[in-house]
Parts: sequence; structure tokens; C-alpha cells
Amino acid sequence: MIESGFGIVYRRCLVAVPTLLVVSVLVFVVLRLLPADPLAMSLPPNATQAEMEEMRHDMGFDRPIPVQYAIWLGQIGRGDFGTSIQFRRSVSDLILAALPTTLELVAVGLTLGILLGIGCGVLMFAWRGTAKEQIADLGSVVVMSIPEFLWAILLILGLGVGVRMLPFIGRIDAQMTVPTTTGFLLIDTLIAGNLPAFLSVLEHLALPAFSLALGLTPLIMRVLRSSLFDTYVEDYIALARLRGLSERRILLRHALKNAALPTVSLIGVQAGFMFGGTLLVEVIYTFPGIGNLMVQALRNHDLPLIQGIALVYCVIVLVLNTVVEVAYLRLNPKLRKA
Amino acid sequence: MIRLSPTLRRCLAEPRVRVGGGLMLALLLVALFAPVLAPHNPGEQDLLHTLAPPAWTADGEWSFALGTDSLGRDILSRLIYGARVAMRVATVAAFGAALVGSVLALIAGYYGGWPDWIIGRAVDVWMSFPPVILSLILMVGFGAGLNNVILAIIIVDWTRFCRVVRSEVLAVVKRDYIPAARLAGFSHLQVVLKEIVPAVTPLLLTLVSIEMGIAVVVEAILSFVGLSVEPSVPAWGVMIADARQYMYEAPWGLIVPVLGIFVSVLAANVLGDGLRRSVDPRLAQRLAVIR
Repeated sequence: MIESGFGIVYRRCLVAVPTLLVVSVLVFVVLRLLPADPLAMSLPPNATQAEMEEMRHDMGFDRPIPVQYAIWLGQIGRGDFGTSIQFRRSVSDLILAALPTTLELVAVGLTLGILLGIGCGVLMFAWRGTAKEQIADLGSVVVMSIPEFLWAILLILGLGVGVRMLPFIGRIDAQMTVPTTTGFLLIDTLIAGNLPAFLSVLEHLALPAFSLALGLTPLIMRVLRSSLFDTYVEDYIALARLRGLSERRILLRHALKNAALPTVSLIGVQAGFMFGGTLLVEVIYTFPGIGNLMVQALRNHDLPLIQGIALVYCVIVLVLNTVVEVAYLRLNPKLRKA
Repeated sequence: MIRLSPTLRRCLAEPRVRVGGGLMLALLLVALFAPVLAPHNPGEQDLLHTLAPPAWTADGEWSFALGTDSLGRDILSRLIYGARVAMRVATVAAFGAALVGSVLALIAGYYGGWPDWIIGRAVDVWMSFPPVILSLILMVGFGAGLNNVILAIIIVDWTRFCRVVRSEVLAVVKRDYIPAARLAGFSHLQVVLKEIVPAVTPLLLTLVSIEMGIAVVVEAILSFVGLSVEPSVPAWGVMIADARQYMYEAPWGLIVPVLGIFVSVLAANVLGDGLRRSVDPRLAQRLAVIR
């Protein structure tokens, strides 16, 4: 049956509820396996037994796990994600403050990775059968073999420390301040009409976004090239040649669009993975996003914060999957309604 | 003289298999013979020689060929012992994930029905979560230790195998020789073990090879965050996290473990790419999509 875009969104929303429930149970139960006391990290070392017990009671850790889960779920239903153990602040506030940083970083990284990947993929295909193709092929395997967080470190070593070309600490120059409107600094600086600050934000985004992009580029490049190969055996390519169109026009106007589908599904899967990649990239570039927040939470056994951020990641991936499925429908004429 | 099967001979003729397989074998040997190869105990501190540069620089000494870290530990020895952690995780976790994933894929693909539905939904749930984050959460729950790292990677990555192998099983089940085997009196188990498993093995080996690289990266990420092996065990991710604080004065401490990870992942990717090309050229897209 052919589905409409709305149909997909509706079905995805129905599936999202049980998925989120299962994920929340899994995360909750796994974290309760914790061999250490989650409070040990946040109480002063000289805390008395009574103080420990009181805090444990306040946080609800003294109750049976199913009861703890039920209470937590009830809180979430009211939009309350609990209180962070280490920051003593509401989990929702912490996440909302950090989320724009991560979304901005991924948006720029994803755009960069897609543009580079499509560009390199088309070039590599245009070079088919030449020595350049072999070099590009080897290059893509090499780039693919370095994970994002190592790119982050290598780029700092090369461009940050070595050539001192680009900044690599934080989101914006320490001297600059921009009033927070959306939390997305690229937008906030433009609203404030502050061009130097906007450029500073771009400079600060360059290295971390490029680290993330390099994880995606070689994959897109290879998949796009292989689907271009599949497309070129089709009759309409031969027909376009007979009509006397230039090779360039055939590749860019005719083949590329038809070869795009596998790349779109790849981008969908990889965009979710990219959020995983932001964890260490944010730590390495001291970006105050949810990845950095998650690493702090994990290191300090801050269970309420870990649970909250985990659910946010899950929602992000589910939304991405839906977007990709709708995009797929738009691009694939076979699935479109007559 | 040893007679090699045609498939194996075709694999060995592929240069990528030779290069990737050779590198991987070398890494496994380094890991295996680490106590013999390493010039120092990887935990031994020499506080008179901290942050020493590599031997070929002006201030270097050959007793510390690749220099020392901030506690005066020999970087070369830590690199060699780090290979032990990386290779144990790579082999055990990759084969473990392959085993779990393909057993479930065989059940789902061969029997269909409700087992297929349940396994399919489990894969969906797993796919709705960035894998790195799931492994980090598992490590918080399990606590530090090499076996826990391996377990976490298996729990996270079985889906990579399950999805791809299941669709391959579905394709194999449609072929004529499967009902023929049933008619010849094979039980279901015999059909699965003697007909289907051999048919999906080439694909499986390719996936295992690529998974070895993924496992090395995941372990490095976990140990970088401090959620992998015990602090006393030298792992590449720990070396990177330590050396990052001294990257201005001693970049070597950072570059060496990065190279270790790079070479391992490169070996796994090149070997996987070569195996894929030599066993089944049609798999190109499917494999590229799962990476």
C-alpha cells in the first residue's frame, strides 16, 4: 500500500510510544545494575550514614526498582525529568540549555558531510577507470578508518596547535557575549546583528563540525558512487547520450537524482550515529552540549541525568527516521501516489 | 601439499585481503607476544624520565624508543600492551556479536512468524538509539573490566549482524535446494546447519572483519571516557585521554595510540572490503549502508 507523508508521520508516532517505553525500561534497569552507590560521587566524603540515607530517600533510591520506575515514568508524564544528582538542578533545564549547542553542531556537521560526500562521490564516479579513482578509493578507506573523536584530536594537533589557524575551545570567543534568544548561537548572533560574533561562532564550529563530517563523507561518497554505477546501466542514460546531451549534464541532471535514494537512507542512519559521535567531539572541543553533559553524567553516575538525556537521544533518532522516510517517499517516484 | 578451496584461493588472490589480513595478523601477533616484545613493564613509572621525546629526536634515548608519558611510562610498551586489549575486544566481541546476531537472524529468517516479529521489533528498538551511547550506559551499569566491555559491545552490535544476515537468509530460503533438502529427509536443523549457514558464511566473515574495527573504536571511546578497563590496564583510549593534557609539549604520546587505532581499523576495513569483493560483488551497497 502506498502511504502519504502524513500517514508515515502518524504511524511513526504510534510506534514511537512503545519504543520509548521499552528504551526507558532498558536504560532504567541497566543503570540499576550499577555496582557502586550513585550518591557516593556527589556527597562530601565526610557525609554521615544518616545523611546518606536521607539523600537516598529523597532521591527515591531506597524503593524497589519497579516502584522507582513507575514514579519516574509518572514524573515524565508531567514533563518532569527529575533532579540531577551532581548539579542539583532540574534535568529538563540542563538538557534544554545544552540541546541547541548539539543540534547546531550536528546540523553544520551533517550539511558539511553531505556536501563533501556528494561532491567527492560524483568526482570519484567521474574519474572511473582512471588512476585518480584508485587514489580517491584508497583515500576514502583511510578517512573511514579514523573515527570522529580521533579526527577531532588530529585537527586540533594540526590546525589548532600546529598552524594556530582556528580556535578549538568553546563555542565563541570568551570576550564576546550574545543575548540568548534561541540558544543557537549562529541565529542569536544574527538576531543581535553582531557580525564579528557570528564569524567567531563559525570559526569555533569549523573544527568540531569538520571532525563529525569526516565520519560521514567517505561513506556517502562510496554509496553514491556505487549507486551511480547501477544507474548508468539504465536505458534512459543511453537515450540521453543519443539525444546528444553532454556527459556532465547526464551525470548532474539525470543520474544523480535517480541514484540518490540509497544515499538518503544512509544519511538517515548515519545522522543518528553522528549524535553518538558528538559525545567525545564536544568533550574534546569543550562544547557545552548534551554530549558533553552526558559524558559528565556517565562519569559521575548521575542516574536521573543519564536517563533524561538517553530519552532525548531516542526521540532525536525516531524523528530523524521519520524525516528520512518522508524524504524517501518524496524522492522515489515508485512510492508516490498517482 | 595443502589443497585450498576455490573460494579461499580467490580471497587470497585479492590484494586487499592480503594487505588487510596481513596487518590484522601482525596486530594479533603483537598482542599475543606483548610480554616478549615490550621493552618495559607498561605500568612501570620512571619519574626521572617523564614526557621524554622519541629516540630519533635530539633529546631522545633508545631505551624509550617512542618516548615516555607524563608518569615516565614507556609509550612503546604501552602501545604493545594496548594492542592486547584492542585485539581481545576486537576478536571476542566481533565473533560474539556475530554468533548472537546470526543465530537470531537464522531463527527470524527461517521460521518467520512471531519469532521474526519479536526479533524484528528488538532490532527496531536497538536502532532507535545511537550505539555508542548504549554501550556507555551499559558500562555504567556493568562497571569496569575487559569482559564487561566485550559483553557491552556484543549487546549493542548484534543487530548489525542480525539485520543483514536475516535478509540474506530470506533470499537463500527461496532457492530450490532448500525444499529439495527437506524432501531428501533433512530435518529443519539440518537444513539450517548444512545448507543455510554455509550460504551466509561469506557475508558473515565480511561483517565480522568490519565489526572488529568497530569494536576497537568503541573500546577506545569507552576507555577515553574512563568507562572501559580498570585504570591499571594500558588501553589506547586511556593513553589518548592522558596524553591530551600534554599535547603541546609531548604530541607523540597522543599520535602513537591514535596510529594504533587507525592501523587496526584500517586493517579491518581493508580486509572486509577485500573479502566482500572476492566473495560477492553484489553486496557492495548493503555493506556500505550498514557501516
